[in-house]
Amino acid sequence: MSRSNQPRRPVSVPVIAGLVALLAVAAGAAVVVRRMGRTPVQELGVYSGRHYNTDKELYRRFTEQTGIRVRLLEGKDDALIERVRTEGANSPADVLVLVDAARLDKAAGMDLFQPVSSKQLDRDVPANLRDPQGRWFALTRRVRMVVVNPAMVDPATIRTYADLAKPALQGKLCLRNNRSVYNQSLVADQLIQRGEPATVSWIKGMVANVSQPFYTSDTPLARAVAKGECGVALVNSYYVGRMLAGLSGEADQSLAKQLKVVFPDPAHVNVSGAGVTRNSTQAEAATRLIEFLASPSGGEGYAEANFEYPLKGYGSSAILKDFGPFRDDGVSVQQMGEKNRKAVELMQANGWS
Amino acid sequence: MLLGLAVWLICLLALAPLIGLVQFAFSGAAAQPLDLGPGGLLQLGNTLTLLLLVGVIGAVLGTTTGWLTASCSFPGRRWLAIAQLLPLATPAYLLAATLVDLGSRNGLRVHGLAWSVLVLTLSTYSYVFLLGSESFAVSGRRQIEAARSLGVGPWGSFRRVALPMALPSIGAGIALSGMEVVNELGAVELLGVPTLSVGILQRWQNDGDPQGAVGLALAALVIVSVLVGAERQLRHRSRRWGMGSPGDRLQPWPLSGWRAALAQVITLSPPLLALGFPLLWAVSSWDQMHGESIQDLIALTLRSFALALLAALLTVAAGLVLAISKRWIPQVLLRRITFLAGMGYAVPGAVLALALMLLGGPWALSPLLLLVWGYADRFLAVAKGGLDAGLERIPPSVDEAATGLGCSWLKVLQRVHLPLLRGPLLVGALLVFVDTVKELPLTFALRPFDFDTLSVRVYQYASDERVGAALVPALLILLLGLAAAMALVPTLERQRGPH
Repeated sequence: MSRSNQPRRPVSVPVIAGLVALLAVAAGAAVVVRRMGRTPVQELGVYSGRHYNTDKELYRRFTEQTGIRVRLLEGKDDALIERVRTEGANSPADVLVLVDAARLDKAAGMDLFQPVSSKQLDRDVPANLRDPQGRWFALTRRVRMVVVNPAMVDPATIRTYADLAKPALQGKLCLRNNRSVYNQSLVADQLIQRGEPATVSWIKGMVANVSQPFYTSDTPLARAVAKGECGVALVNSYYVGRMLAGLSGEADQSLAKQLKVVFPDPAHVNVSGAGVTRNSTQAEAATRLIEFLASPSGGEGYAEANFEYPLKGYGSSAILKDFGPFRDDGVSVQQMGEKNRKAVELMQANGWS
Repeated sequence: MLLGLAVWLICLLALAPLIGLVQFAFSGAAAQPLDLGPGGLLQLGNTLTLLLLVGVIGAVLGTTTGWLTASCSFPGRRWLAIAQLLPLATPAYLLAATLVDLGSRNGLRVHGLAWSVLVLTLSTYSYVFLLGSESFAVSGRRQIEAARSLGVGPWGSFRRVALPMALPSIGAGIALSGMEVVNELGAVELLGVPTLSVGILQRWQNDGDPQGAVGLALAALVIVSVLVGAERQLRHRSRRWGMGSPGDRLQPWPLSGWRAALAQVITLSPPLLALGFPLLWAVSSWDQMHGESIQDLIALTLRSFALALLAALLTVAAGLVLAISKRWIPQVLLRRITFLAGMGYAVPGAVLALALMLLGGPWALSPLLLLVWGYADRFLAVAKGGLDAGLERIPPSVDEAATGLGCSWLKVLQRVHLPLLRGPLLVGALLVFVDTVKELPLTFALRPFDFDTLSVRVYQYASDERVGAALVPALLILLLGLAAAMALVPTLERQRGPH
């Protein structure tokens, strides 16, 4: 293998350049061929901050019903908002689906949605779950609920979110950190209902009850309560639903069965929702898609696969039925979004890091 | 002339997003451009702590594994050399997610700085390993032979000869791992360690102040540039040139007995940990490994592969032009600019994505084009690091001799530099390939419709707290990285001659 006097010619620059060019041409050709092979059908572009495989199933059903194809891009809500904004008039997105009140309000505030008037949406989406100007509409609901380890804490002592600040829970409460948009919206919700002074003392009381470092996700939080590492915690309803359904294994299923679920009365309800983008030239088709997703038949599918609640009622899932009923506190999602920034400030200032 | 044009063009392309960011940062009504907000000091402290610890541990680990696999022989050496790439191919956020999940199932709280150091060291030490071992394999052979004939042992020849000669490469590796640490987001968020990049995103998302976020990101970039620049200045004083040509062979130090066993343990641990945690998870929770259809997985893999190949070729070509230009165009200004152009890696991916959106939006540029541009911009540092170090090993007298014989720079490149730079070129391509396959923020933010990749799926599932579904695409990412390593490492090995 001695190559000292005959060094092998390495791959030279032109060859590499040629390869790159070839790849580029091939990619371009592939795109063109795909375009040519298509019969012209109507296509809707959807940017979605939700990412559940089951959503795709619903878009397929919509296509079957209407013949309108859905092209999907799932991403992080904030990046999608930025993308629609910078793409401006060139944006291929017709519908923007976002998770959480704060983000829907942010996008509306940036003027990314066009107002839509639809009798069907007005009928199917409760007034507090849509933008008063018709720029966005909720599609699914989720509840920030309390999970309790009955061996450590008597579930009957917790009736409201305010009860989590009681000194009796000293050292037993575990919380997710303030980066969680679910917690941010809960604080915004309490701000609207109870005003700033009460909310501040509630945050302080809860933080005083926390002995473990703040968690970074909901599922480990629910597990910690079931295992008795915490007595009480706040989690989104669908995480417990998934565990109970055995989606994350048998061990999780049996852990979740040991949890006692408490809906504070009234309960804080958050949403995922959608609107038609400001520059969409297919507002009518886009509205049809949102109508389909918000309709009882479509919406139930959108919500249920992820153990979320449909816009009205409790859906048909046995697991959600077992959780029992809850009373929505009726706070407008739009106001919750507006208060997000204030909520984060209060959390940061009072030790909820 | 042609070279000059090419260099300026590449620099312009590389710097355009950064310039756009500067403009953007000053365009808004950012209240206080450098105000970190509440918790800012903590975030800065965490970032610096991680930088220091990951840098030191990664340097020791990478140098040790690099030296052992390049200059010693022990059973399994060849495979263990290839295995060193596995940790690099493991996305840090996946490692963090599996650890958090495993811990929470088994009553162990995986949280905080120590775990972050573990995860980040694992996922970045390979930079030092790859660049270092390439250097150990080719440089200073004659010096080592000379030292040996004078009775210097393996440890002595490592300490006195090989290590000083490999310092430029090791430094470049540490710089790369440092940049990765500065912009890592997913893993530190999951482990509950607020760092600067967390603060930057907080600024953007919660305060609705993207300008302020960008200002912060640029400040972080300045910190990193200063660190890297300082390292180069220090190294400049201790320049050494070595003429390792593929022809002369270095007899590796044979290790046997407990020494061989120790070498095996040291080189096996990191890949075992990186691969072990996800596999342990898979074995303990096989009842939830559901997710994609085979068809879907193939499509995801092909997209990841094509993007990574394209990015690797483009980036290495651009890196080569920049690295070569420093030898032929002695302009201080150009040198500064090329240095800055190689800094895109230190900008958090999400911020770079924003910059590219700002650039591409008004022009309606194709998202795929933006995406590849972003990769090349981000990983230019990765490609360039090894090349710069490789070029530093080539004595300028070689260029002078060649030009004295009437060769143009292109001829010198073809006949002298490229053959000597094969190692760094391959390593650079390999690193960019692996990095692109696991890259997340850019891919997530810039990809077109219906164009998911493996890393996108992994993240979607992991961030939705469904680790089980994330594992199969994650293992495919590892496989792609491993395949790339198996394709390129033997070529690197060949340079060392047979054992």
